[in-house]
Amino acid sequence: MSRYEFFDHTADIGVRVRAPSLPGLIEPCTEGLYAIIGEIATAGEPTARTIDISGDDPAIMLRDYLAELLYLFDEGRRCFTDIDAREFTPERLVVAGQARPVDKARSFFEREVKAITYHELAIRPVTDGYEATYIVDI
Amino acid sequence: MSEAYSGPLERLDGCRWRIPKSYKPEMRVDGMIYADDTLMETIRTDKSLEQVANVACLPGIVGNSLAMPDIHWGYGFCIGGVAATDPEEGGVISPGGVGYDINCGVRLLRTDLSLPEVQPRIEKIVNSMFENVPCGVGRGGRIKFDRGELHRIMTEGSRFVVERGFGWDSDLGLTEAGGCMAGANPDFVSKRAFSRGADQCGTLGSGNHFIEVQVVEEIADQQAAEAFGLSKGQITLMIHSGSRGLGYQVCDDALKELRDVPRKYGIELPDRQLVCAPVQSREGERYLGAMGAAANYAWANRQIMTYLARNVFADIFKRPPELLGMRMIYDVAHNIAKMEPYDVGGRQRMLCVHRKGATRAFPAGHPEVPPMYQQVGQPVLVPGDMGRSSWVLVGQPAAIEQTFGSCCHGAGRLMSRSAAIRAAKGRSIDKELLARGVVARARGRTGLAEEQPEAYKDVSQVANAVHKAGISKKVARLRPIGVIKG
Repeated sequence: MSRYEFFDHTADIGVRVRAPSLPGLIEPCTEGLYAIIGEIATAGEPTARTIDISGDDPAIMLRDYLAELLYLFDEGRRCFTDIDAREFTPERLVVAGQARPVDKARSFFEREVKAITYHELAIRPVTDGYEATYIVDI
Repeated sequence: MSEAYSGPLERLDGCRWRIPKSYKPEMRVDGMIYADDTLMETIRTDKSLEQVANVACLPGIVGNSLAMPDIHWGYGFCIGGVAATDPEEGGVISPGGVGYDINCGVRLLRTDLSLPEVQPRIEKIVNSMFENVPCGVGRGGRIKFDRGELHRIMTEGSRFVVERGFGWDSDLGLTEAGGCMAGANPDFVSKRAFSRGADQCGTLGSGNHFIEVQVVEEIADQQAAEAFGLSKGQITLMIHSGSRGLGYQVCDDALKELRDVPRKYGIELPDRQLVCAPVQSREGERYLGAMGAAANYAWANRQIMTYLARNVFADIFKRPPELLGMRMIYDVAHNIAKMEPYDVGGRQRMLCVHRKGATRAFPAGHPEVPPMYQQVGQPVLVPGDMGRSSWVLVGQPAAIEQTFGSCCHGAGRLMSRSAAIRAAKGRSIDKELLARGVVARARGRTGLAEEQPEAYKDVSQVANAVHKAGISKKVARLRPIGVIKG
């Protein structure tokens, strides 16, 4: 079962994720982004990478993390896997993982994500943890 | 997530509606929406009217916060939004008022070909276009540019690629701003944006971008049609794309850089996607310079695709594009901010006009209208959906008086992408399009479903609304017969 769900926006696509903790939001938010792009297969040698973001708003830090993944995909044709959200506090987000080359021949791309927007961007406490929402521009 | 608008909305006449500035204390001007009663029924079902009201809160905004009949829910600004700010009155520039796809726009080419000549070859044309114009996610172009060349593309726009053989000199005069935005400054463009743009100049992209082969189905204004070189039964070619990854990155960088800028200048905003900076500030100038550079990249992008598309026709019809009469009709931007002079309160002011999903629509006699169209006005290109039609309109004086020389940019979406996919379940959109006489090719499996004709408003309704309002006049309706999508 998906750990993310899509919600409607007139021209674009929103992603909603619930998790028991702030770090728990990261992996399903990542999966949601890649699922919008399509079915991405990877091949070749991965490179270990850590994304470290400081700030004062967890929702903005989440957006910046996803924007980093988008850049990695669009410019470097790499996909971020084996995700370990080591720290996600109101001041800092640290995510370690592997940047794996995308295997174009085995992938099926559906949509070009232009950007992670600030529109309806939020992380809210809910009864059983946190809910994150973000909308991507298609 | 979407909620119907419940604020005040006054019907002024058959095609204009007002949101009074009394709606919110922060509103500096009224909101004004161009739509007929039928379109308004749909428009008020999402949050786009709230966005019109939010834009009315921007510092230095003059006239009205405007929306065209193809309005729908966007980010910060609605799609179909127009706002002009006065830099001398603290007016701001907002990257959200331009959008991620800077200078997304439309280009239309005419041909001397007629439907009977093209119809038997349409499948071959579409297939060849699909092979020769890179499109879809992850498709870089075969034409590569190094960093120095990219710098020149961003400085010189279309001219740089035309001088390298990707087009005709006459293309430049038939492109908005001559295909080169004044004040563009690639030095304000990040390394990331350069690298995202390195292999994408001359590529279509995906989403709602397309190349369409069309036939002129109806002429509504003979004089303007003749000036544009359009006649009934003639084949045209329409290209819709923008600044690709380079532009997206410029916008993303700017939204990040401007995060704290409103606080610095004491600007209160109702939506953080509206972040902005005074036009006359270091931050504002940096964004305008980078935006101009991305706009120039977009014009070069459409110029290279024009070259590729002309070659497809030349190859199939065994005649050079010149002998096929494949001259440009026009190229317009519909995601851009430009400094333009307008009379406001009896005084000439240089305003920063944001067009977010809105097309420039200058009338006859305006100095920026190409000489060959001076008697009729600027062509306004309004693509519809891939099953029904697109329109060519012509700018009218009322656009200068009421909408800062602006008009609609398309049909406007009606369904969300997921609703469109649900509606397409069990159907074969390509076969349905074929039954309507349209050969369609798309890279993604969901592309045709998400972009199906029913996902959009009927563009003829949108064209009728701006025609009735008098801001543009209908010239010709174009019916698609072949389309490629990313």
